[in-house]
Amino acid sequence: MAGDLRRWLPPVLLLLAWEVAGRLDLVASGALPALSEILSRLWQDRADYPAHVSATLAASGLGFVIGNALAVLAGLIFVLSPVTERLARGVNIAIFTLPPIAIAPILTLTLDGMTPRIVLAALGVYFVTMQATVTGLTQYDSRAADVVRAYGGGRGAVLRLVRVRGAVPAILSGFRVAAPNAVLGAILAEFGGGGRFGLGAYLLGSLGRGEPDRLWGIGLAATLIAGLSYAVFAVISRRMLGASLSLSLNPAGPEAEAGGRMSPLIGLGAVAMPFVLWWVILWVMRVPEMLGKTPWGVFDYLFLAEGAPVARERLLAALAETLPITLAGMAAGLAFAFGLAVAGRLTPTFTRVFLPVAIVTQTMPLVALTPLLVLLLGRGTAVTLWITISVTFFPAYVMIAQGIAQVPRAALELPRAYGASGWRELRLVTLPASLPWLFAAMRLTAPRALLGVMIAEWLATGRGLGNLLNQSRGYLDFGMIWTVAVVSVMLSVALYLAALWIERLVMTRKGIGAME
Amino acid sequence: MTAPAGIALSGLSKTFTGRGKRIEALRDVTLTCPPGSFTALIGPSGCGKSTILRASLGLEPVDTGRVEIAGRPPAQATAAGLTGVAFQDAGLLPWRSVSRNIALPLEVLGRDVGSATGRIRDLITLVGLSGYEDALPGELSGGMRQRVAIARALVSEPRVLFLDEPFGALDQILRRQMNIELQRIWAETGATTLLVTHGIDEAVFLADRVAVMQANPGRIVEVIEIDLPRPREPSLFSAPHFHELCDRIAGVLHGG
Ligand SMILES: Nc1ncnc2c1ncn2[C@@H]1O[C@H](COP(=O)(O)OP(=O)(O)O)[C@@H](O)[C@H]1O
Ligand SMILES: [Mg+2]
Repeated sequence: MAGDLRRWLPPVLLLLAWEVAGRLDLVASGALPALSEILSRLWQDRADYPAHVSATLAASGLGFVIGNALAVLAGLIFVLSPVTERLARGVNIAIFTLPPIAIAPILTLTLDGMTPRIVLAALGVYFVTMQATVTGLTQYDSRAADVVRAYGGGRGAVLRLVRVRGAVPAILSGFRVAAPNAVLGAILAEFGGGGRFGLGAYLLGSLGRGEPDRLWGIGLAATLIAGLSYAVFAVISRRMLGASLSLSLNPAGPEAEAGGRMSPLIGLGAVAMPFVLWWVILWVMRVPEMLGKTPWGVFDYLFLAEGAPVARERLLAALAETLPITLAGMAAGLAFAFGLAVAGRLTPTFTRVFLPVAIVTQTMPLVALTPLLVLLLGRGTAVTLWITISVTFFPAYVMIAQGIAQVPRAALELPRAYGASGWRELRLVTLPASLPWLFAAMRLTAPRALLGVMIAEWLATGRGLGNLLNQSRGYLDFGMIWTVAVVSVMLSVALYLAALWIERLVMTRKGIGAME
Repeated sequence: MTAPAGIALSGLSKTFTGRGKRIEALRDVTLTCPPGSFTALIGPSGCGKSTILRASLGLEPVDTGRVEIAGRPPAQATAAGLTGVAFQDAGLLPWRSVSRNIALPLEVLGRDVGSATGRIRDLITLVGLSGYEDALPGELSGGMRQRVAIARALVSEPRVLFLDEPFGALDQILRRQMNIELQRIWAETGATTLLVTHGIDEAVFLADRVAVMQANPGRIVEVIEIDLPRPREPSLFSAPHFHELCDRIAGVLHGG
């Protein structure tokens, strides 16, 4: 009973505080309505929801299926042929890091109907599932494989009898993590497109009307869908495996392989591949030259064409606004997460209460969060900074706290057993144990930080790359739309690679292998 | 099927290099097991027993030396279904029931599983797991899993049987029972058997010959003939000559 009370008390208190603050308009003069107000507004708007929800569900569902099918197939191919995996690494990293909002306008301009939403949802799930498939197929029981080989079974037999079925748990957990990404992707595409239905369209339409309770309602609905999609797969995998699964999100980025020296030729191919693919897709789909810029078209726009200097100037000005705030927000979010997770070792109760909250925020689509933060914080730079911080902070906190939780209790307590103080123990065990997770979190959240900044700029502040993209979309300035998309993808990849580089540098110096 | 199926290992050497360290797991190991014979391999842990077994099955490439099973290279012999094996770790597939785990070798060899149902049921009875046909490995104890592995080793009716400490996780009583069962199976099938064990009494009770190994580098230091008459009864465990042989092996093991 006492345990139950301890578990339920914090959330109940939180809800109560929310209700009071909302009723009394305590936060930003009514930007945070009470939960009861939000729910009653949801009830009033109930006729609007079915059309929007089903549009978003249809697009994200279809994208989820297509993206996952491709991802499992790709994972299988990468495992069977390491050279292909290395060649595709550039494409994989680009897909993992690309801010969906950056390519949403391109997709809505070149494709029609539901297709852009489906594509963006599929792109959102591809990487997670592909990675999970590769991991699942790679980490198989070598002893069971030996049995198959001992009866003359070859690679095919081992794959069929041991590895494929053994990868199912990993793939299912990939689905689970990927499901909210599909919802996020679909909603982002709705932002960029002109469709009438979909939660993203609804949200965008309601943004200007200054009705916090409706915006919160839409955000709640989006979160609920994403959270439910996560939960559905959590239940399926638990049913299928009968084993308890720990909650973890975006568990792996592209592998930080230590000894993976590529031959220069393959490395070159990996870099060239995304550009080749870009060219080929435009060509295969016969996109008109005016609409679909090739790599050469973008180069031309930026450096050779008549308006090139102006275009460059606008781009650089936007970058100068976007980049510093992305980095500052990331640094603050990571530092905050690290501090809190490490301090949590000294106050386990806090971790026990806060970790589940942090995990729940992971399923909240960023697009639903942004308008709410705009309501709370206004349209200044502060909102961008806070979005970046929250986008970085929560996943990093979850990763680091769960990383620390993986250290065996005995190891954590050993220094204490020899009379070490709390601080000394922190320095001897907890810090070294959590450092790898900090770097992994940095690598994985860098792309999300950029996405957060761009969404804020697009929706709220009217500055930076996000705004430039939104404006160019309004003026049908195709050169600039492509340029911003390409530059932000490249920026995202660069942030990711920089984080990876720092991670390796520190880890080799410390004698710890880079985290998987 | 009645073609002589012996094991011939000649001059096997194997060095592992991992993270700067070199481990000479095998040096010039030569061992011949005539068709139908029972050989026990005994030695301290880490002396290369498992490596010999894996090399015999072609799972571990050797640096020098040659392996022949029934006069053929291991890859051919295993693919032809001449061999059966139970490794030190059971290595069961966690999603397969006991009977489907036992059927695995048949599937790999491309044989008909359906017609072997009766045989699989008999094997399950033999290893004392009746009633657990549909249990999953996760629901079994370590000893039970090992017995599944033994049943699996026998399912393909092998002419040559490799067993790597198959009774390691069993308690003493069950172990004795399984020793007696194994002797019976061996006598019935006439399969050439190579048993890796760390139990001296087990080796003497079962084998025609005991090959004693030592580590660093892993090598066979002596092969001791066991001239006890067959069939061997449980009462043998307390016979004076039995203990003499055990003492001799212990002497070689510890003598250096
Ligand atoms: N794959 C491997 N890589 C490196 N060393 C190995 C490997 N397999 C076995 N060894 C080493 O070879 C030696 C012999 O191993 P093994 O044959 O398993 O011994 P045993 O079965 O007698 O206990 C041991 O020192 C072991 O550490
Ligand atoms: Mg061994």
